[in-house]
Amino acid sequence: MRDSGSEDLIVKMSQVIKEYPLGKLKVQALRGIDLNISRGEFTTIAGPSGSGKTTVLNLIGCVDVPSSGDVQIAGQSTTNLSDKELTHLRLMKIGFIFQSFNLVPVLDVFQNVELPLLLQGELGASERAVRVKEIIARVGLSDQLRQRPNELSGGQRQRVAIARALVTNPALVLADEPTANLDSVTGNTIIELMKELNATQKTTFIFSTHDPKVMRQASRVIRLVDGEIVLDNDGIEGVVEATDGRGEVGS
Amino acid sequence: MATIKMILLIAVRNLWMARRRSLFLGGALSIVTTLLVLLMALSQGMSDNMIHSATTLTTGHVNVAGFYKATSSDSSPLITDTSKLKAIVEESIPEVDYVVSRGRGFARVTSETGALSSLLAGVDLEQEPALLDVLESAPESFYKEGGSDTIKGDVQKLKDPNSVIIFATQAERLEVGVGDRLTLRVQSFTGMANTVDVTIVAVARDIGLLSNFSMFVPSEVIQELYQLKPDTSGAIYVYLHDIDKSAVVMARLREVLHKEGYELMEYQPAPYFAKFGTVSGEDWTGQKLDLTMWSDEIEFLTWILTALDTVSFGLIGILVAIIAVGVMNTMWISVRKRTTEIGTLRAVGMSKSRVWWLFISEAALLGLIAALVGVLCGALVVLTVNALEIRIPVDAVRAILLSDTLNLSLKPDQVFNAVGVMTFFTTLSAMWPAFKAANLQPVEAIQQSE
Repeated sequence: MRDSGSEDLIVKMSQVIKEYPLGKLKVQALRGIDLNISRGEFTTIAGPSGSGKTTVLNLIGCVDVPSSGDVQIAGQSTTNLSDKELTHLRLMKIGFIFQSFNLVPVLDVFQNVELPLLLQGELGASERAVRVKEIIARVGLSDQLRQRPNELSGGQRQRVAIARALVTNPALVLADEPTANLDSVTGNTIIELMKELNATQKTTFIFSTHDPKVMRQASRVIRLVDGEIVLDNDGIEGVVEATDGRGEVGS
Repeated sequence: MATIKMILLIAVRNLWMARRRSLFLGGALSIVTTLLVLLMALSQGMSDNMIHSATTLTTGHVNVAGFYKATSSDSSPLITDTSKLKAIVEESIPEVDYVVSRGRGFARVTSETGALSSLLAGVDLEQEPALLDVLESAPESFYKEGGSDTIKGDVQKLKDPNSVIIFATQAERLEVGVGDRLTLRVQSFTGMANTVDVTIVAVARDIGLLSNFSMFVPSEVIQELYQLKPDTSGAIYVYLHDIDKSAVVMARLREVLHKEGYELMEYQPAPYFAKFGTVSGEDWTGQKLDLTMWSDEIEFLTWILTALDTVSFGLIGILVAIIAVGVMNTMWISVRKRTTEIGTLRAVGMSKSRVWWLFISEAALLGLIAALVGVLCGALVVLTVNALEIRIPVDAVRAILLSDTLNLSLKPDQVFNAVGVMTFFTTLSAMWPAFKAANLQPVEAIQQSE
């Protein structure tokens, strides 16, 4: 586990265990994880299927709670928060990018991106419009403002999802396999875009992926196997070395 | 506000996206609403007929009547010093439209070929010209087989001495027409049998069931039949600008008359002819006044409305229950199909209550739109039926509906109620699925898509 000044930490996981019931048995998806992530990092979580990548993201994203241990987001422990408080934390501090884009199908690009701002209720209509158009322009979709998700390509949909995740200026953006449903060229473009936003806006990105090419873009790679962190490195090379020498990372 | 707009937008667009399902369910809701509107209109039409019929034939909005007992075993439905009493009523009731006094009687009516029993209303046309507006002459074909479609006779001629206006149903039963003579036979209050011959000056269109046993004669005929003094009559009928104020006016009138020194009978919501037995058995003599409202005088008919309303609401209740199951089922399907969307919305920060509202507003919108369409269809049917003046061919149905034509009546508050009830029950049916949607864990909802 890396050590960093606690004020710089956006994520702090301490001895986190997550168990799921499987019939009468309990399966441990995470086995006492300790993980610190600082503000502004561009981190990927790698590992084979079932290694616990999504579980880690769900816990950091406050959509799930640990069976034991503690998860802190921006210095706030989530362990004893109510559903209402967790919802508020997600709304104010976290942006989500999903593998299947998960846009609201009946809303157009503008409305999908505007949704988190509406839920926050802090900005007036004109300020919202400025902010939404600005972020949509940054992801290169200014010409598609009034199109619905089913009128967009996969890459465009993921750009909308990125814009939605970033529109509230969250401290942290979580992306669960954001390129899995995209071709390699589009996937690369999306990662480049995320990297650029990370560099310019200093937003912390944590994403999971199977793809070594995508992984190469990360400044930090955390490898999970069977619910444990087996490697925490500054780049892909170490991860490749730590595997079987064929460069295979993940399943 | 902007969030509410967004929630409504999502609801509207989801309804549109699932338009086949919305159309099917909305159509069913509209049909039930139309049915509800028609049943309400039928009930209201009957109620209107009943009020119209009763307030024309046998009662005012408020009645000042009473009983006179020469001996303790008498029970004559008379009021004395009518003019004085009428003046007091007119002075003390500002809501009054007009006040009339009517003679009351009950006679055996005989023609050359038939006989029937009927209540007699002794009318002074100078006092109540409005009566002529509601008594419409019937074409001869209404009461005489092979009769012409022309109208014979003239209701104005009720001013003539020894005249009578009867209704089409009575003319048909007595096999008489305008110009024919009838004999009225009554038992006077002194126990003598008196008869008067009268000439039919007009045959009026039926005004509901009461037309079977009511006819109009000049007030002098009643006085002659019962050997009454000129200032004695059966009742003072008070007509108000607003019939809904009858109860208030009656209560006030009781106080006024009591202060003026009149003796009043205990209020009993029943027609005057149902009180003979009670009054005969009471140990007092002289004059006592009895105040009633129009609804009391036709209390024996209101069971029809109660029965119709009970059957209607029972039927509507069953249909609403079926629709509620349909709405609940549809909402379940919607929740299952949109699990990922719910998870996403929860993940990006939508609260449980907003997710609940999202589904509730979808059901409420569907219910509201369907109910509005249903009410519109119902109103169109009501207008069409009334415009067609459909004659009811079966006597029994005419008697039940209190009208010879099918009369439907729809009031704005009924439209509002129908829309409200249907929207409410549709929304209520969606509560549980919406609650389940709101309580989906975001992580479970998201994982559905992966």
